[in-house]
Amino acid sequence: MVRVEGAAGALWRTLRWGCGGAFWFAGEVRHECAPYGAVTRALFSLDGFRRGARDGVPLAVSIFAYGVGFGLVAAQAGFGVGKAVATSAAIYSGSAQLAAMNLLQTGEATLWALFATILVINARYLLFGAALQPWLWSAGPLRAYGSLLLLGDANWLMTMRAIRAGEVDRAYLAGTGAPVTVGWLAGTALGAGAVSVLPRPEALGFDLMLACFAAGMMTAMVKTRADLLPVVVGAVTAVAVAHLFSPAPAIIAAGLAGAAAAALVHREPS
Amino acid sequence: MTESFPILLAVMAAAAFLCRVAGFTLMRFVPVSPRMEAALRATPLAVMAGITALAVQAGGLAEGLALASVVGLTLALRSDVAAALLGVVVVAALRWAGL
Repeated sequence: MVRVEGAAGALWRTLRWGCGGAFWFAGEVRHECAPYGAVTRALFSLDGFRRGARDGVPLAVSIFAYGVGFGLVAAQAGFGVGKAVATSAAIYSGSAQLAAMNLLQTGEATLWALFATILVINARYLLFGAALQPWLWSAGPLRAYGSLLLLGDANWLMTMRAIRAGEVDRAYLAGTGAPVTVGWLAGTALGAGAVSVLPRPEALGFDLMLACFAAGMMTAMVKTRADLLPVVVGAVTAVAVAHLFSPAPAIIAAGLAGAAAAALVHREPS
Repeated sequence: MTESFPILLAVMAAAAFLCRVAGFTLMRFVPVSPRMEAALRATPLAVMAGITALAVQAGGLAEGLALASVVGLTLALRSDVAAALLGVVVVAALRWAGL
């Protein structure tokens, strides 16, 4: 009886999730065709989700390797597969998780110290969210905040590039997040479970994957001479801050400095 | 550290979630002027340049050469994804060669 109930429950959840998913996606056409004066929402379709998912697959490969790296670290800190995967699902940010592991291993971590560490390491997400806001908000609050749960460094970069290239379907962001999530959790499980038999990710060059994607996307996104200003300002700021303070605030400093420089030289087209 | 794992997890997840939604939520109350838009457009470029520069700084010759090759390959192949994946191969090969 219990087993039947369990199976029925699982089926029910699947159906409900399916309907929920359909509900999530449905309505973009209705909204697009809404009579004048109705709340018009931006396109959020299964097509856009698929496009994002396809573009996200190469990212997922690198995130998978990064997940293996985190799994290895978590296993060394005494986490089993379940704990490691739960951590990856709940925090969903490699750099913050590595810093938290580091802190936990000192044995002197308090809850406040953990909270503050993740806040500082992930402060760049404030910037990521702010940059996405004008585009993403028009999808409506539920879809926008739902998509933000799948936000990471790599798929943020990819989505910002797609927006620049004219992507209008707001489901694109969640699409890029889907394969990345699968890769991240699968990698974590593998790393934590097979800690004794795996080669270190560094030996295969996977630790440089995010930087490689950043360098490639940056190059592809530079279209005009004005685009070179944030590149130079960002690089110089990151190196200077990392050298003077620590690498943790360097990325957010780079983003802020680049944004400020672009705002300063911006001229209204006359 | 005496707290149980679920409490640790909840605290860490709350901090991560806060960062994900706070910037987005605050921007709803900031009018997006053309100047602000220029700043937001420049942000990913500056972040990517920062990530790249930090990787070169933290790494060495192999990392620098691999990332430089990614820039060159992106321009040559017109595909940043292919260039990034090749960059990983380049750095693995250079490390294997002892650089």
